[in-house]
Amino acid sequence: MRLVAAEFRKLTYQRAMWGLLIAGVLFAMLGTIATPFIIDQSADGLGFGTLAEVAVVDSVYANAISAYIFSVIVGVLIVAGEFRHGTAVATFVAAPRRGRVLLAKLWVAAIAGLILQVIATAAGFGAGALGMMAFPDAATPSVDIFINTSIGAVVSGAVLGILGAAVGALLRSQILALMSVLIWLFAIEPILLLLVPDQGKYFLSGLITSMVALDVQSEQFNLDTGDFLSPLVSIGFLLAYGAVFSILALISSMRRDIE
Amino acid sequence: MVAIVFRDLTKTYGKFPAVNNFSAEVKPGRVTGFLGPNGAGKSTALRCLVGLAKPTSGKARILGKRYPQLKNPSTRVGVVLDSRGFHPGLTGYQNLRVLASMAGLGGQRVEEVLAQVELSDARNKRVKGYSLGMKQRLSLAAAILGNPEVLILDEPANGLDPAGIAWLRGFISAQAAAGTTVLVSSHQLAELQNTVDDVIIIDHGQLIAAGTLEDITAGQSLEQAFLRLTQGGVS
Repeated sequence: MRLVAAEFRKLTYQRAMWGLLIAGVLFAMLGTIATPFIIDQSADGLGFGTLAEVAVVDSVYANAISAYIFSVIVGVLIVAGEFRHGTAVATFVAAPRRGRVLLAKLWVAAIAGLILQVIATAAGFGAGALGMMAFPDAATPSVDIFINTSIGAVVSGAVLGILGAAVGALLRSQILALMSVLIWLFAIEPILLLLVPDQGKYFLSGLITSMVALDVQSEQFNLDTGDFLSPLVSIGFLLAYGAVFSILALISSMRRDIE
Repeated sequence: MVAIVFRDLTKTYGKFPAVNNFSAEVKPGRVTGFLGPNGAGKSTALRCLVGLAKPTSGKARILGKRYPQLKNPSTRVGVVLDSRGFHPGLTGYQNLRVLASMAGLGGQRVEEVLAQVELSDARNKRVKGYSLGMKQRLSLAAAILGNPEVLILDEPANGLDPAGIAWLRGFISAQAAAGTTVLVSSHQLAELQNTVDDVIIIDHGQLIAAGTLEDITAGQSLEQAFLRLTQGGVS
């Protein structure tokens, strides 16, 4: 409990963490407020349909979950930041049982990622509603999209915070860890989605999309959510990702020297 | 009862033995200088002692136990390994407050140790704005947070100006007078001569000599004795 409290204290003292929260909120707001205008500008609604359809309006609000990348970054900074600044030595001297320290960090990364995602998603909902006011003839969104997206925000925020912390523990280099998660999420996953679309639902972004249970298709984006996993199964897969990475991070931390 | 024991300690990196079958003891309530040329294995031995590096073989014990086995080690052992161990974006107070939280100590204790190392005025300054000497003093403040019975100081005089070194001498003397066991590695041999009771000399990862200051120096200065024992190795 002491270690968790100390980790939270460390987190709240760092300006970078507050900056990431603000960036996540702005990112989610921009994603939702801009989407209806982009869909409306496109002749065929980017292949999704028009704002007169409930599923398309739902997809606008589902964008509120898009700040999960900031939860990953927070997780990375919680662990890899210690090695970057050389504070890992002081931390592991004060608490030499490394497994306990890492568990505390994973727990704090989960809570921090969750809080960031919940706040960003709520802000995204608000921005989406603001954007949709420009389209009075648009369909009314379903209640389910808000429920599913909220649950998705909680799970994705926590799991991606854990994944970030685990990657930070495995790689230790903050730059390398950040580059790895960003390249994976923004380059490798989209490429794999194009190459092996049937397996795309098992990737992180596919699982997060599955959790919001959208029903949209777009040939332009090679996207058909009809093939995606159910929200519950996708939550299970995300939790499994978190568990596997946590175990790998724990094993790695126990075996390697602290520099 | 000894405070610190190294027994046949070996730590290799690849095929290179940084510490090689090293054995030594540190007696309680005394100030022991831990000397050796650059790359002799001092820091590696200390890192093995506090659990940061895993020995390849042999053992290092402190207060009769492996360091990770000590309950709330910050309240038993204070450690200074380098002055880089603080988050540059946090203030001196915040850095210490985090470490105090880990040891179950409150903010009042942080204020006390900041006053003890004469950093109260800089408590709200970010560490990236600290001079090297201030960072060293902050490291010492962190080490004494838990009012430990053993202090391990690795090159605490590095980068200190003459006034800082004089301050450090007073700090170590005060700790020794309070009965704290101090193990200090340093390049400041002339300075150590005025501070230590016992000396351990290591070179190429192996024990060269250990004993009281009088036994080791045998009428010479500590620097002369060190150079004789390490065959001119530069500290």
